[in-house]
Amino acid sequence: MCTQHRKSFLISIAACFILAGSAFGQGELRFCLRSEPKTFEPLKVEDEASATIRYLTGGVLVRMNRQTQALEPELAQSWKVSKDGKQIIFKLRSGISFSDGTPFSAEDVAYTVQQLMDPALHSPTGDAFRSGPGNVETKIISPTQISITFPAPVAGLDHQFDQVAIMSAHSPKKEMAVLGPFMVDDYKPGASLLLKRNPNYWKTDEQGRHLPYIDSIRLDIQPNRDVEMLRFKRNELDLINTLDSEYFDKLGAISPQLVHDAGPSLDSEQMWFNEVAKSPLPAYKKAWFRSEAFRRAISEAINREDLSRVVFRGHAQPAVGPVSPANKFWFNAKLKPESYSPDTALKALQAEGFRMENGTLKDKDGNAVVFSIITNSGNKYRERMATMIQDDLQKIGVHVNVVTLDFPSLIERMTQSFDYEAILLGLTNVGLDPNEQMNVWLSSSDNHQWNPSEKAPETAWEAEIDKLMREQASSADPKKRKEAFDRVQEIVFEEAPFIYLVNRNALSAVAANVQGASPVILVPQTYWNVERISLK
Amino acid sequence: MRIGRATTWRGAACAVLLLVAGVSLAANWIAPEGYAKQYREAADAPPSHAHWLGTDEIGRDRFARVLYGTRISLLLAPAAALLSTLMAALIGGLSGYLGGAWSRAAMAVTDLFLSLPWLFLLITVRAVLPLNVSPLFSVLVTFLILGLLGWTSAARVLCATSATLRDSDFVRQARASGIGAVRLFWMHVLPNLKPVLYAQFWISIPAFILSEANLGILGLGVAEPMPSWGSLLKELEGLVSVGEEPWKLVPLILLAIVVTSFQFVLARQEEAAA
Amino acid sequence: MHSAKPTDVLLSARVSVRYGEKPPVLHDVEVSIRRGEVFGLIGQSGSGKSTLAMTILGLLDRKKSQVEGTIQFEGSNLLQLRERELRELRGCKIALVLQSPLSSLNPALKIRTQLKEAWRAHASGSASDCDAAIRAAMESVSLPASDEFLKKHPSQMSVGQAQRVLIAMATLHRPALLLADEATSALDVITQAEILTLFRQLNRTTGMSILYISHDLASVAGICDRIAILHQGTIVEVGPTGEVMANPRHEYTQKLMAAIPQIMRPIATATAASL
Ligand SMILES: Nc1ncnc2c1ncn2[C@@H]1O[C@H](COP(=O)(O)OP(=O)(O)O)[C@@H](O)[C@H]1O
Ligand SMILES: [Mg+2]
Repeated sequence: MCTQHRKSFLISIAACFILAGSAFGQGELRFCLRSEPKTFEPLKVEDEASATIRYLTGGVLVRMNRQTQALEPELAQSWKVSKDGKQIIFKLRSGISFSDGTPFSAEDVAYTVQQLMDPALHSPTGDAFRSGPGNVETKIISPTQISITFPAPVAGLDHQFDQVAIMSAHSPKKEMAVLGPFMVDDYKPGASLLLKRNPNYWKTDEQGRHLPYIDSIRLDIQPNRDVEMLRFKRNELDLINTLDSEYFDKLGAISPQLVHDAGPSLDSEQMWFNEVAKSPLPAYKKAWFRSEAFRRAISEAINREDLSRVVFRGHAQPAVGPVSPANKFWFNAKLKPESYSPDTALKALQAEGFRMENGTLKDKDGNAVVFSIITNSGNKYRERMATMIQDDLQKIGVHVNVVTLDFPSLIERMTQSFDYEAILLGLTNVGLDPNEQMNVWLSSSDNHQWNPSEKAPETAWEAEIDKLMREQASSADPKKRKEAFDRVQEIVFEEAPFIYLVNRNALSAVAANVQGASPVILVPQTYWNVERISLK
Repeated sequence: MRIGRATTWRGAACAVLLLVAGVSLAANWIAPEGYAKQYREAADAPPSHAHWLGTDEIGRDRFARVLYGTRISLLLAPAAALLSTLMAALIGGLSGYLGGAWSRAAMAVTDLFLSLPWLFLLITVRAVLPLNVSPLFSVLVTFLILGLLGWTSAARVLCATSATLRDSDFVRQARASGIGAVRLFWMHVLPNLKPVLYAQFWISIPAFILSEANLGILGLGVAEPMPSWGSLLKELEGLVSVGEEPWKLVPLILLAIVVTSFQFVLARQEEAAA
Repeated sequence: MHSAKPTDVLLSARVSVRYGEKPPVLHDVEVSIRRGEVFGLIGQSGSGKSTLAMTILGLLDRKKSQVEGTIQFEGSNLLQLRERELRELRGCKIALVLQSPLSSLNPALKIRTQLKEAWRAHASGSASDCDAAIRAAMESVSLPASDEFLKKHPSQMSVGQAQRVLIAMATLHRPALLLADEATSALDVITQAEILTLFRQLNRTTGMSILYISHDLASVAGICDRIAILHQGTIVEVGPTGEVMANPRHEYTQKLMAAIPQIMRPIATATAASL
């Protein structure tokens, strides 16, 4: 009787284990890092591969939900930003410890913030917080409460903490003691990285099961996209984060359930004319490029629908401006993409004194309108876009030479010699906040590509953009900020210093055995909810 | 019998070359729409009645592009190969024949050439060239550069070969017949360098065709929308499933056929000379 | 040697040659060749025979060798001629036939081309003049002068034919002096005999002098009027072939004689005596 009871008890335990094992807490998720991670120190992260590791291993106070784009509590239960935008008070969860068992408290947050702002460490993550001169002040109110005061208002202060992985002030394992769902277990430089689940991870699901569901993640370092694709097809990989449209279609043709098009991403492709006054271009060309009417006409003569449909096989949308429609809060919904209309473009040019002669557009002094578009070689999408634009502009008599250059030469022309006429490039946006684009819009900035480092704004509209960007940056009121940035988007649309072409869609692939993944447009597209992903 | 068969092969090779050259020269008539027209509604289409080899990624007729590309590459690659072969013959062959300080100097120049950071020099070339050049000019310059740079490795071989030739019995015999130095080089040394020269020539052709495409990375080479074999071959890069779209391989197959034909035709010349 | 009348002497040389800083290869070597005679120069391999031939032709690399002395030929000292003057002599007045016929012909050229080149070096006639000269030269060495033959490349001929072509080439301009450097050494015995006969015949019909260089005393004794023995850079013995062979004075000549197989010796001596 007694023995039998014991036996059945053992069996039920075994069954439990098997069940648990089959559904959760088992399996290895595999995907690729496209380059070698440069650092495991979360504050020093600059490259994509290191950011991936930070995302998977780091614990943060608040996290922006990549799907809803709303900020959610993590290690902080709640938080409050002061009116002036300088101070934030976090209320922390208790009873949490790092992966090595060291308990987590407000001291760790204070330590991390001090490190973050330490000028000697020069943390790239810290740059977003450095809005003015002076020191950051951290005050530990209690083990679960901390106030952080910055010398100047930081725009979108709470959002910025999404990037700040909390480090332990005391653990002997330093940055290898983590608060995130996974921890680094093994690293073979040049080959792969193995992450193991963090046994001390604090989060549980609605049923009270410990997260994450999976045991480990294998990250293979593989820069070659063809190989990545091949291995995915052979079931050696579970996820592909950003997929080329060609691959997307090829894979989708075979197994449509594996590919996901999450719609337009934050990334944009654009071209712009050289408006630098001291550039070595002839005066008449400078006059074209500095003319708003010329830029708008060129913009109107470009068939963006065709670019999206042909070059990206429909996996892109005509772009409106510096903010992608995917950026739910900040996008100015009143703006629509420039409509394709070569006739209007030609009329506008004729109104400016240009005229058509035997299929060639000439300016009022008789100079044929010829310019070159340079783009970085090796990017076939950009080369194709440039070739299609070349064809489009031929219709209004504008002759374009397409030149592909190696990246260093292109950058040299773009930032040093200003010896170029037009450039076609893309811009990758990681964050949603307009402050992240500050360096592009301020006329004094050296990233103000069409005319960098202006001593004083050279045009009225650039002066207005400067003013609006400063306004939104110094305000903590989201509504006011939105108003200002909406206006910036309008000015950019009207003046067309950047001619926005398309927003590429976020394309990804998820293997059939992966459950709970729901790819989004924000980085990291496929595994943003990694702790809730499980494997069949 | 054996000779007969070889001759048929060579005849066939000649015919193939003539056919390819002829058809590509007639591109204007065969494909009057030209190589640049974008059929955007039918991008990346498979072969059809309208587009015999389908269309490329932005809807350009691949057959037309192959024709015009052939014209560019088939004309320019052999010209560049000829240039580099002549330079190799002159620099390598002559210096080896003259020997002594000449050959040391020539080999030093060759070493220098081989050790120069070409990437940077080519970047400089691109930087010096204006941005607004026609696609044809760009491709001409590129092949010229290839021709002017491609002689080095062959020159080393030729220098060594002609140095041994210089000390050979038949050259001594010829000198003893009173034949002058220039004539000696021309009639007695050069013909014996022919195998190396032929090899240099026909290896250079495909090498240059591919290099032209690769120089596109530096903004040299043919520019859009003009096609060359190189730019057509670049289409194959990262082609995921060749098996499903074999027509995309046509430029590659054509290149292989043409290079092989060149080899056959040259082999005949070589034998005739030997 | 100096007793001969000046008109009788075609070439008289007295030279020392050294390569670089090494001891001289030829040390005060004195040779005089009379008009119409076949003069044998015998010496073991490495004794400097080819060096002497090259010195006469002015084909030694001037940077690598030093030559002292005089070579009187038809009234001028060859060692003082300029390259251009020497070039005019070579192949025209003084010709050369080398040891291995196949490597002495250019493998890349048809023999007609090579003969043409040799002819063009000293003549500026029409194509038919050239053809006629080639035909005559081919006939004089008993080779067919047919188009078919002349179109051949050296690799398509036998060794004997190749050597005849070489001789035809060398005698194209009826030189006064032919230097035959081991011209038969690479040939089999029968071909060797044929070529020797050919040399003798050319010597008789055209009256050209031949400097016949060989390491093998026995094989050439039959055609030489006089022989000189070169040993360690000097001429150790010189005289009419029969005399030298019958009565070798120098130790080295005696060794040479001893090296000739017993049965051959009487024949060699007898033929030499009969010439
Ligand atoms: N170009 C040269 N440079 C240096 N030494 C040489 C050269 N040619 C020949 N010798 C040397 O001179 C000597 C005589 O050579 P050679 O005249 O060819 O002799 P033979 O023809 O009698 O065999 C040999 O010891 C040889 O090594
Ligand atoms: Mg010798």
